[in-house]
Amino acid sequence: MTARLRAFAAGLELYALSLFGLLCLGPVLVVFTPGLLLGLVFLIPGPMVAVRRLTGLVRRRTRDLAGIEVRSPYAPEPPPPQPQADGWYRRDRQLFKRAWWPRMADRIDWVLGDNATWRDLGWMFLAPIGALPGVLPLVLPAAALWVAASAQLPDAAIGSLVAVTALAGLALAPSGLRSSARFHRRLLGGRVLRSDVHDVQADHRVRRWVGKASSPVVRLALLLLTSAIAIPVFVATVAALVLGYGLGLIFLVPWGQADLRWLADWRRSLAQWSGVSIPSPYRPLPPLVQRPDGMYRVGKNLYKTPRWALWTQRFYWVQTDPATWRELVWRGSDPIVGGLIAGVPVLLVVYGIWGQILPRIVHFFVGESPANFWYGTFIGHPAAAIPGGLALAALGVAIAPAALRLHGRWSRLLLKPSGDTALAQRVEQLTLSRADASDAAARELRRIERDLHDGPQARLVALGLRLGTIEALIDTDPAAAKEHTVQTQEAAAHALRELREVVRGIHPPVLAERGLADAVRALALDSPLTVTVDIDLQVRLPEPIEAAAYFSVAEALGNAAKHARARTVAVRLDLLPAGGADPAANGDVLRMIVRDDGRGGADPANGSGLRGLARRLGIFDGTVTLSSPPGGPTELIMELPCASSSPRTSTSSGRD
Amino acid sequence: MRVVLAEDLYLLREGLIQLLTAHGFTVVAAAETGPELAAALAEHEPDIAIVDVRLPPTNTDEGLRIALEARRRRPGLPVLVLSQHVEQLYARELLEDGSGGVGYLLKDRVLNAGQFVDAIRRVAAGGTAMDPDVIAKLLTRARPDSPVDQLTPREKEVLGLMAEGRSNAAIAQRLFMSEGAVGKHTAGIFGKLGLGPSDDDNRRVLAVLAYLNSGR
Repeated sequence: MTARLRAFAAGLELYALSLFGLLCLGPVLVVFTPGLLLGLVFLIPGPMVAVRRLTGLVRRRTRDLAGIEVRSPYAPEPPPPQPQADGWYRRDRQLFKRAWWPRMADRIDWVLGDNATWRDLGWMFLAPIGALPGVLPLVLPAAALWVAASAQLPDAAIGSLVAVTALAGLALAPSGLRSSARFHRRLLGGRVLRSDVHDVQADHRVRRWVGKASSPVVRLALLLLTSAIAIPVFVATVAALVLGYGLGLIFLVPWGQADLRWLADWRRSLAQWSGVSIPSPYRPLPPLVQRPDGMYRVGKNLYKTPRWALWTQRFYWVQTDPATWRELVWRGSDPIVGGLIAGVPVLLVVYGIWGQILPRIVHFFVGESPANFWYGTFIGHPAAAIPGGLALAALGVAIAPAALRLHGRWSRLLLKPSGDTALAQRVEQLTLSRADASDAAARELRRIERDLHDGPQARLVALGLRLGTIEALIDTDPAAAKEHTVQTQEAAAHALRELREVVRGIHPPVLAERGLADAVRALALDSPLTVTVDIDLQVRLPEPIEAAAYFSVAEALGNAAKHARARTVAVRLDLLPAGGADPAANGDVLRMIVRDDGRGGADPANGSGLRGLARRLGIFDGTVTLSSPPGGPTELIMELPCASSSPRTSTSSGRD
Repeated sequence: MRVVLAEDLYLLREGLIQLLTAHGFTVVAAAETGPELAAALAEHEPDIAIVDVRLPPTNTDEGLRIALEARRRRPGLPVLVLSQHVEQLYARELLEDGSGGVGYLLKDRVLNAGQFVDAIRRVAAGGTAMDPDVIAKLLTRARPDSPVDQLTPREKEVLGLMAEGRSNAAIAQRLFMSEGAVGKHTAGIFGKLGLGPSDDDNRRVLAVLAYLNSGR
């Protein structure tokens, strides 16, 4: 009980801080807005930094009271400007006599460029709602009181209802506190990762969060919103086309088509809620070609300046892309088809619930009996109102998952790339990964050459020299010659050792001899950490895949040992059947999971190792997904499509 | 002593034959490929087989697999495996049956003919000869919660040399202590690793195995 009371007190405190945040929002905006709009920029950093004190307090209290760690997501403060040798301060291409302005400008850039600033403002606005679960023991009785009073229950019933809900609120206080603490963390904690590996990562996280937190009905409601937005967008496009082609206001045409693509983009990203992934269908804008005579050529036309050439090119690019016209059809039809698919379940739920609430509101204002409203008249009997409404809502919830799937299919129908475009994109992607691959191969060859040159080659030369010495000494000083022989043997052994290292870096012998599974087991044996290995792999994979997988796991284990301060690592390898992880893939997928119990917080932006991993696997269309919250555990999931699995074959030319 | 040799590189094979003959061994068969080795082992029943891990036709671990197979058919058949690189995985597979008479050495070790011949004799006599490289890798790792961890530093040193396959006398000479002291240490090691008194040579192999497994 005391724990519950303490949770209630903690929730109350956090809620008071949230309310205080909302109260501060007014003054902050009063100071901040003129700064932004009237050019009084020196007003900008002050309030924003002051706000950080408040949010910092909230972070600390959230940690102390609810035990939920909230990261401080701010970029570090810029260092004070340093004068140049001549005493002036330089910022960009201007010189200043005093440090004041460069410092102010740095601070403005710092504050405005930081996403966390805007998250702070968002928190101030939303916190009184988001932190509500923290004060459930107050909220529940208040709600009960309101409902009961409007239903004109007898006083005794009201009293007991309030008491019961207050107790229930108290019982729920700890989970309410956690929920509001999580809200603070979401808004004030920022995101841990960004950059190229993170795209995968962010995607992964969003999907997981959405999967956990929101029901199909909520998702459909948001999708319904996009269908509604499609109406004005469609009207604007049609207007642009009519005015453009009809009245010759040709500049409107690409605007109406290309600049309004954000809606379709949005829809494509939301489609993953339906379990559908829709790649972007647009062809890339071709590069502008300058002829030897300095003119720019677009189609059959020549232009003197790049400005018009670019415009025309964009025009042709938009008009000739089939995706443009498919999207136009989508914009026109989605409010009807998509709206219908998403709308039916949402409306059933809204109608069902609204039917319960509306009569009470009407009753509150008009005073007439709620039975005469809504379901009371709709179904014919006042008593049928509640079950009727609930049944409608339940029906809506029940059909929502199916509607969501259908909706995804509908979105894909017109928004996915046509065959040509998909092919063009694939070519683009392959060109990139081929460049990556040849780069990597060239780098690797250079490294091997250097290793051989610095190591074994030099040793063998020294060996030859020693043999020369021995030859000179063997008749005159046999004892010294003998001693040199011993050293020569050692030098030979050393050269061999270095050669072994080089070979191991190119293609580990155990990988050639035993294949991936045993090679990873051998890696685990060599690691300074306690590594458990769980491998379900019956076949030999193609050699390049095995090598890429081996070195990726090696890199991951190395990272765990070097950076993560981990004690134990679990490595799991399995072969997922075709299409298991990615419906686009037509072969099996090798999945490698490396999980350690270290301190977490791995960030691809800091480590070239993780990016190197992504590149190494990217050559084979593989992906890297990293989940590494501060405090751990770190989990690295690497997926590598293997087009074909070959049986055990004879291996590399290296011989033992 | 009758030796069956398997090595696919002509130069190394001839060199080994010369070296062995010079030290009084009889090379009854010198195989070039995996199948030849299997046939030679079945035909000659040698006192020891000296085998390269990687042999044609697969050029993978054919030699090792044939040697292990031969030991299954004739338990205790002494096998000395040579390799261009040492892998704990293979060392463990060789030691797994615990019956001794195995060796696993880098090919470099033939450069020091005296030690190499010594290792062959040890293996042929039912002892072990593990490459110092395998042992060194294990020594660099400190793992908690393995029984080997309970050993004193001195006992670990003794176990390390024992793992290479040295006799008590050789260990005593190496560590500058009396043979009796080594005996006391080995008894301590066997006790801590839970190895009861039985055939002494066999216990040494088991201790080495425990040592290799301390990684897990």
